[in-house]
Amino acid sequence: MKRMATFLVNEKHYELAIEPHMLLIEVLRDKLGLTGTKQGCEIGNCGACTVLIDGKPVLSCLTLALTVEGRHITTIEGLSQGTSLHPIQKAFIDHGAIQCGFCTPGMILSAKALLDKNPNPNEKEVKQALSGNLCRCTGYVKIIEAVLAAPEVISKEAKT
Amino acid sequence: MSHAYLVVGKRIIQPDAAAKATGTALYASDISIPGMLIGKVLRSPYPHARIKRIDKSKAENLSGVEAVITPEDTAAWQKFDRGLKDLPMIAGGYTVPPDESVLNERARHFGDGIAAVAATDEHIAEEALDLIEVEYELLPFVIDPQEAMRPDAAQISDFAKRNIGKHMSYAFPAGDVQKAFKEAECIVKGAFSTTKQEHCTAETAASVARLDVNNRLTVWSQCQLPHLARREIAHIFNMPVHRVKIITPFIGGSFGQRGSLCAEPICVALALKTGKPVKLVFSREENFIALESRTGFQYTLRMGFQRDGTLTAMEVYMLGRLGGYMGCGPMASAIGMIFGLGHYRCPNRAGEADMVLTNTPMSGAFRGFGNPEIMWGIEQLVDEAAEKLGMDPIKIRLKNIKKAGEIANMGLPLESTYLERCITQGAEAIGWKEKWRKRKEGTIRRGVGMATMTHCSGAAPLYLDHSNAWIKLNEDGSADLVVHPAPVGQHIWGALSQIAAEELGIHAEDVNIVTGDTDVTLFEYGSDASRSTYVIGNATLMAARQAKEQLLERAAEMLGVSAQELEINDRQIFSSIGQKKRISVADVCYDAIYNFKGECLNISGKCSWESKWNSPPTGAFFAEVEVNIETGRVTVLRFVTAMDCGKAINPMAVEGQLEGGIQQGIGYGLTEDYVINKDTGVVETDNYDSYKMPGMMDMPETQIIIIDEPDPKGPFGAKGVGEPGMVGVAPAIANAIYDAIGVRIKDLPMTPEKVLKALESS
Repeated sequence: MKRMATFLVNEKHYELAIEPHMLLIEVLRDKLGLTGTKQGCEIGNCGACTVLIDGKPVLSCLTLALTVEGRHITTIEGLSQGTSLHPIQKAFIDHGAIQCGFCTPGMILSAKALLDKNPNPNEKEVKQALSGNLCRCTGYVKIIEAVLAAPEVISKEAKT
Repeated sequence: MSHAYLVVGKRIIQPDAAAKATGTALYASDISIPGMLIGKVLRSPYPHARIKRIDKSKAENLSGVEAVITPEDTAAWQKFDRGLKDLPMIAGGYTVPPDESVLNERARHFGDGIAAVAATDEHIAEEALDLIEVEYELLPFVIDPQEAMRPDAAQISDFAKRNIGKHMSYAFPAGDVQKAFKEAECIVKGAFSTTKQEHCTAETAASVARLDVNNRLTVWSQCQLPHLARREIAHIFNMPVHRVKIITPFIGGSFGQRGSLCAEPICVALALKTGKPVKLVFSREENFIALESRTGFQYTLRMGFQRDGTLTAMEVYMLGRLGGYMGCGPMASAIGMIFGLGHYRCPNRAGEADMVLTNTPMSGAFRGFGNPEIMWGIEQLVDEAAEKLGMDPIKIRLKNIKKAGEIANMGLPLESTYLERCITQGAEAIGWKEKWRKRKEGTIRRGVGMATMTHCSGAAPLYLDHSNAWIKLNEDGSADLVVHPAPVGQHIWGALSQIAAEELGIHAEDVNIVTGDTDVTLFEYGSDASRSTYVIGNATLMAARQAKEQLLERAAEMLGVSAQELEINDRQIFSSIGQKKRISVADVCYDAIYNFKGECLNISGKCSWESKWNSPPTGAFFAEVEVNIETGRVTVLRFVTAMDCGKAINPMAVEGQLEGGIQQGIGYGLTEDYVINKDTGVVETDNYDSYKMPGMMDMPETQIIIIDEPDPKGPFGAKGVGEPGMVGVAPAIANAIYDAIGVRIKDLPMTPEKVLKALESS
């Protein structure tokens, strides 16, 4: 039986009729067309489906949608403001941290959760925070560099 | 020495990076079309079984199901080779028999496609799969290639006697190997085995197919070889080529796996049966069991040397496990032998391979395509020879590596090589002199090891190395470059825009890449064999050169000077002989298009390029490891890759390729083990919980050294760099383990169990 539920995604309210068994990733991708959230393994191992729930990274492929009703859900589409990119997105682009790009949204959201909590992480902290996100292209080197460089971009933007 | 380039060599930002960073880049799995159905595939739970009876009526009656197809429904379509090698592409008439159907009435491996469903949503499609009733007749099966060649083994294919799908001989045999071994003063030999590494592309196989109103078929395909995919799909479904249109969306990783057809055939079949758009996205498990992955080899290798370390003889026999169908697998041995036996200067060389059908998931192309497999053995044996001869592993390699002008691995001249510099600079970076043979006592022991390799820049002269580029200049001096590489993440759009911009004297961001639609793009072999920058890059350069000639002729007329004296730089055309005359590229282009003097011209250049050269990249790999002799655990502490890939068009992109190669090489060397249950034929490692590819915490400190010397034949001196980065990683680690603990492991991956076992028996 479908039921009505209200989701708060990227600061917008959506009222949807959904089946109780629906996963958050299905709601985001299939119901809302937010295809920036990617499906990689379906068992919570690759991190491609990472979104933020109240600022914390969560695997949307393992999350029943109804359990996050009314919570603040942030997807990759919610990070940029219009055409203006978030500093972490800029850092990923400038450092060549994106190859095929399929893991990128999840990586960036995990990085955002880290930097919101710890604005100046060291390399080990970055590796720990992003260790749940798998990438097959980059060897992670430039991803780590991008996350370590992001605080400077963030503080520069805060000044301007 | 390198020229002062305006665009080439710059660390430019990729044209597609922002779309990927914001989640707006569309991959095949993101495509949605009104009325689109979702496809699902029923797969065999048995390694070898005939379908005695299949009842689809219950599934068909489920509300929301639009089609259920079985082998009977696909019988009118052509059998094919998913590796695209049943149709000519390779020199010497090499083809493989088409042995696979869209759906197969006899499952030849665990995971083989038996039936498929199209339904209005994914849940209904899955429910429908459960409602298909299949009665199987279980057949004897064989997992091991040695056993498969026995006369009493289960016969997998009609044409393959003793299940030998293809016997391959080394393409460039030389000298008298047996005589050379008799005369050799030092012989080293070994039996090596390699694993069926899975590509672990971030995105699984996915396709969307739609029959358009004018009866044309549009396929969103991840295939690395889009125009070959178009030809193959037209062939399978009995259509003329012009009725098939391939759209290449962003591709979430490939590494060779998408060099073959993946989700496309079943997806198209469902679209044709329903007349509606269908999307088929494989699960991660299907990616493991229903696609090709790296060929697992068992091989014996022998090398002969003179006392001074000169290599005189090499001989290999490779036994490869193909899986249930031919696919790309056989070429892994042919290419592996070409790369491996052609790497060092060696006058006597011989190699043979049997590629054997087994009841296991298929084998195919994976980054390096035979090269990592064979260098795994060769680079360990070279170290063994060095030890026997009392030489430093570096010295023995420096003695035997080829020099520019010698005949390279692919039978063409070695246009350029800076491998010596790769070796010496890499050794310096890892601290070879201070660390090698400085063994530590105690539980945790450190060691350093190295390996080298040669690869290719394209597939010439083996494959038809044909690319096309078309460039047109717009009225504001910008350019549209029409090309069709596969955007698998290798930053190829950026590299091609840099090549075009450099030649035209404009900026990289002035070049718009028009791509991904076979209705628009000219023929393109595609993105494999580390060929895109080198071959498509040369096509792009030649096309841009034609456009530049037209541009300068027009400018010369407008300025009243001779075209020979004109140069372009930073979007400006100016005379090089002291005259102060100048005009912008934009003004010339505008005048050519909006020309009211009866001389209208859209300045453009088009090049059909068949590469007749192949400048091999060369490289050296250095690992520093730590081995715990109580647990057997190997930790890679540092890794240095020194690469001669010609002039780096974009050093940031080159580093990315090589850093990614280290990750894949460490996985290949240490953790990635594709396990098939010998008793049941079931694949036991079908997702990341059981198949361990390296994560961020598993990566060592890395250092990339780019030699950055131009090659005479590459566009602005570039060579290929897509595959080389993982070729020497695993043997460098193996040699480092030997340096640390004095034991050799010849069976991939080097798990703690194998390390401990080797220690016990040493």
